[in-house]
Amino acid sequence: MSGFRLPGRGRIDTARPVAFRFDGTPLTGAAGDTLASALLANGVHLVGRSFKYHRPRGLLGAGVEEPNALMGVDRGAGRTTANVRATTIELHDDLAVETQNRWPSLGFDLGAATNLLSPLFPAGFYNKTFMWPRAAWERLYEPAIRRMAGLGKAPDTIDPDRYAATYAFVDLLVVGAGRAGIEAALAASASGERVLLIDEQAELGGKQLGEPARWPWLTDALQTLAAAGVTCLPRTTAIGLYHDGFVGAVERLTDHLPPARATGPRERLHRIRAGRIVLATGAIERPLVFADNDRPGIMLASAARTYLHRYGVAVGRRAALIASHDSGYRAAFDLAEAGVAVAAIVDIRETVDRTLLARAKALGIELLTHHVVSATHGAKRLVGIGVAAIGAKTERRIVCDTLLMAGGWTPTVHLWSHGKGALSWDAALGAFVPEGAMEQVTCVGACAGAIDPGHGVHAEALWSPRDPTTFKAFVDLQNDVTARDIRLAVREGFRSIEHIKRYTTNGMATDQGKTSNLNGLQVAAGALGTAAPQVGLTTFRPPYTPTTFGALAGIAKDALFQPTRMTVIDGWAERQGAVFENVAQWRRARYFPQGGEDMDAAVARECKAVRAAVGIFDASTLGKIEVVGPDAAEFLNRMYTNPWKMLAPGRCRYGLLLGEDGFIRDDGVAARLADDRFHVTTTTGGAARVLGMMEDYLQTEWPDLDVWLTSTTEQYAVIALQGPRARDLIAPFVEGIDLSPEALPHMAYAEGRICGVPLRLFRVSFTGELGFEVNVPAGHGLAVWETLWAEGQKHGITAYGTETMHVLRAEKGYIIVGQDTDGTLTPDDAGIGWAVGKKKPDFVGRRSLARPDMHLPDRKQLVGLLTEDADTVLEEGAQIVADPDAPIPMPMIGHVTSAYHSSTLGRSIALAVVAGGRARVGETLFVPMPGKTHRVTVTDTLFYDREGTRLDG
Amino acid sequence: MLLIHCPYCDERRPELEFGYAGEAHIARPPKPDDMTDAEWETYLFVRTNARGRHFERWRHIHGCGRFFNAVRDTVTDRFERTYKAGVPRPGEADGWTGETGGIV
Amino acid sequence: MADPVTIAWAPPAARYSLRTRAPQGLPPILASAPFADGHALGLGPDEWLLLLPDGTPPPVIDGLHALTDIGHRNLALLVEGPAAATLIQGGVALDLSLDTFPVSKATRTVHDGVEIILWRTGETAFRIEAWRSFAGHLHAALRLAAGDL
Repeated sequence: MSGFRLPGRGRIDTARPVAFRFDGTPLTGAAGDTLASALLANGVHLVGRSFKYHRPRGLLGAGVEEPNALMGVDRGAGRTTANVRATTIELHDDLAVETQNRWPSLGFDLGAATNLLSPLFPAGFYNKTFMWPRAAWERLYEPAIRRMAGLGKAPDTIDPDRYAATYAFVDLLVVGAGRAGIEAALAASASGERVLLIDEQAELGGKQLGEPARWPWLTDALQTLAAAGVTCLPRTTAIGLYHDGFVGAVERLTDHLPPARATGPRERLHRIRAGRIVLATGAIERPLVFADNDRPGIMLASAARTYLHRYGVAVGRRAALIASHDSGYRAAFDLAEAGVAVAAIVDIRETVDRTLLARAKALGIELLTHHVVSATHGAKRLVGIGVAAIGAKTERRIVCDTLLMAGGWTPTVHLWSHGKGALSWDAALGAFVPEGAMEQVTCVGACAGAIDPGHGVHAEALWSPRDPTTFKAFVDLQNDVTARDIRLAVREGFRSIEHIKRYTTNGMATDQGKTSNLNGLQVAAGALGTAAPQVGLTTFRPPYTPTTFGALAGIAKDALFQPTRMTVIDGWAERQGAVFENVAQWRRARYFPQGGEDMDAAVARECKAVRAAVGIFDASTLGKIEVVGPDAAEFLNRMYTNPWKMLAPGRCRYGLLLGEDGFIRDDGVAARLADDRFHVTTTTGGAARVLGMMEDYLQTEWPDLDVWLTSTTEQYAVIALQGPRARDLIAPFVEGIDLSPEALPHMAYAEGRICGVPLRLFRVSFTGELGFEVNVPAGHGLAVWETLWAEGQKHGITAYGTETMHVLRAEKGYIIVGQDTDGTLTPDDAGIGWAVGKKKPDFVGRRSLARPDMHLPDRKQLVGLLTEDADTVLEEGAQIVADPDAPIPMPMIGHVTSAYHSSTLGRSIALAVVAGGRARVGETLFVPMPGKTHRVTVTDTLFYDREGTRLDG
Repeated sequence: MLLIHCPYCDERRPELEFGYAGEAHIARPPKPDDMTDAEWETYLFVRTNARGRHFERWRHIHGCGRFFNAVRDTVTDRFERTYKAGVPRPGEADGWTGETGGIV
Repeated sequence: MADPVTIAWAPPAARYSLRTRAPQGLPPILASAPFADGHALGLGPDEWLLLLPDGTPPPVIDGLHALTDIGHRNLALLVEGPAAATLIQGGVALDLSLDTFPVSKATRTVHDGVEIILWRTGETAFRIEAWRSFAGHLHAALRLAAGDL
């Protein structure tokens, strides 16, 4: 052990040494250390370079507030974490950390030249300087700035860790296991309620862990809680508080273990719903703002006490204290009693409590009241300070390697503020404290402003005998914001603290200003000539401390990123080598390449097979809704544009659904199974939306109708058999249905059995060929498919995917809602005005179709396009112009919605929406695409089998 | 995540079970053909966009599936009250002022 | 020692969605009750899921109603053991303690982004119904979480 470890002190176990590497250097600490305490025990104070000026920085704090000591932690490939505070890293064997933002080394950093140039870097520097030329920003300025000013490196490989998540329900959640939090949990522990106590540290106890006299109490209290069944979670940070007693908390499960011993999830997200919440989140000590207050060796007084009592580490050999608050004296006295020389106590106040004076005198510590620290000295470690009496010009130098700062306390109100809890200014504290009540949340202890001990005053930057424009007095250490920057922002006209924050970036670093917000506010108030409470506070937002994306994602990664819906035939398609595409949450077979075919070749083959023999297609993803009840026909009549009441059982009808605005929302075929029962189909992507829309009208507009809706999408596997041999193929397997064209014509429906299982058979076609859609209970779908596939071999059966389905339907001019429509097309625009029941008194969207705008001749209408060059396939989405020589901006009159090569026709085809399109049939238009503008002829949308004879096989 | 009282389940349930469904108490006109274009436009598109108390529709889509109405404060996000579809706007029928109670 | 929790696919079952405004002999919303040779689960004010032995034909219901066969729409998982509630709580935002989710309670809700019907069949036993295409995701998510209990 080095000379900075004090024997017999602290909660660490010096009998269990722990080896770790710091920038590659092997060092040793003890079990129970944090990285910070272990570094200090080794005499290491220089732990980082600052964000903007690359100034050497040391440890300021001992907890989550630490702004300087940010480390890159390397736990193996993909397991690097940037910007981890050394004060929160539990020391463990094989810990390897790297300092950040320095090159080539922490001790010798070329970037520090920016400090010499710093007069060039005032607040708003980037905004003001790197304005012209614009192109240089992306190519020159930004990359250079990003190299120079930055924090850690983000990992560039996939995170191999797993993350867990759970919901938790408790009667009482206590956040913070310091004295107040433990007392709150104890008070509730006998009630039989479900009590959960969480704390961000490795050990429960909060600041009590740095108070050896309180350790017996702490031990007893934790035993009492355990015996009472209170759940205690250490290493668990409440990151956000939301309405209705909801708190997000991240439990770190393995980061404190050597990587080789880290098994299971790395972190667990607890989504906690609590009947009552007690916030016992404590308070954070404030630094003081004075010249060069950022050298290694300058730290919070409370941190020095924590290192002394909890970790048995002396933060230096010879310390001084600069205080505006009584609480700092405890650190000076405790260090003196532990054998550390205390060179001086400098207090900005004129009078100090007598007992403190007497104690300092008894310990032989020089006490300078009404004094400031006017300067600090030393490069990579403090070697001395200058002190001056307030108002005097003369400075005196004091030798010390450590300077403690005691600027008073800031209650940790972040979580309270997340919930929009009100704050009020406490003049005695010089801070905002929670005010009033908020839902089921209460604050206790230091978080509520009950801060012990002592009193203080609250200044902005300390008075200085020097010109304040000649030195840097840091407010935000992590973002390198100085008091001068904040004053400059005010001089330049910023008044709102929110604007000052964004202009100077004060409080916007990864520590969210835990040590800088109040000081920044005081400096701004001083510059504005107003009081701090009038300036107000910026808004705290979750998370309280930086949180991994993994914790927020939970198990939603890799295969579980989101549900991938697969049909019962998906596995068969996969075995056949299908290429898949995602449609909504479904995975669908897009095409079935054979022998190294590309998509075009496979689709051409599949299309020809359907037109020549028979194709088999998995249509199971089609949305299905069973509409049941005596008013079923009346309901559909009101929802869809088509008339339904006269549709006979055993017949199908194409249904077109509009929004109330008159634009196409969805379509699909519906069959009437019985007087009071319809089987309605929807698009794959529209299934949930259509059912929701129907439920909305049914429940809220027409609750008097006797009809009910049930989703049957997944009840049935749907096997589409399309092509001239389709009937021959299924006939041997169908029982109880006469398949003859007379008995089962196009758009007929029948029930029977196929392959021995119940069958709902639709004679429908989305290809223009003789077609059947075989609906069987999903559990039987694969068996039926495989039977038909085997039998189909003698008929030349070919499996086809969604791409071929698209081509075949385009050859027939059948629209796909969402591809050929975009929410602005009426039925007439889409060329399916025939589907609108002209005699119906009302249906959803009917009134909008009567608006004059819906009948303008230049509305965009769906048409066909044939390219002059038969081999050119237009780009879907390409714009259409009438005059390719028109000056730019060229008037665009439409766009391509679907375009394919049609192997059936031996040429390309396209569908498009074109202004006044149907009146342009026969005209030549132009489609500018990369490299060439293509001539196209406008046609109608029917490219193949104009007479429709193929529907009957 | 808010808790929302479903008036059909009579339980406060997590927000993720619900879907928002726009402003409440805008009934579809019984005879759209009798409306002028301007009146129809108002029905389709004009909403109060309240800052403060807002009457709105929700659906317990991943629960009982029912649409219902709620009074929510758009500033505080607080649900003041929920009630079944078809029930008159609170205050009109029952003298509720929002000052006390409501179903929560 | 027995597993803290087991996850098993339920055998095939007959399922019918029953909708009626006159629920004679049916449990109230969020509750379940024996029905014929199986159970009825009250999912909504006018909606019940009838879970019956595989092969049961549509039951005869009196009065105005709608009955729809959804026997193949769902797959079901049986989650049982002392840690069953803890496991499911990982993905369900309802309080599954026995006070608020007692035995026989049933409801539609969400597990990790998948809509489910959650039915507590015993103090340490649940049946989870999900639409067929979501069941694989549900099963994988539960299996993964079970390994971390």
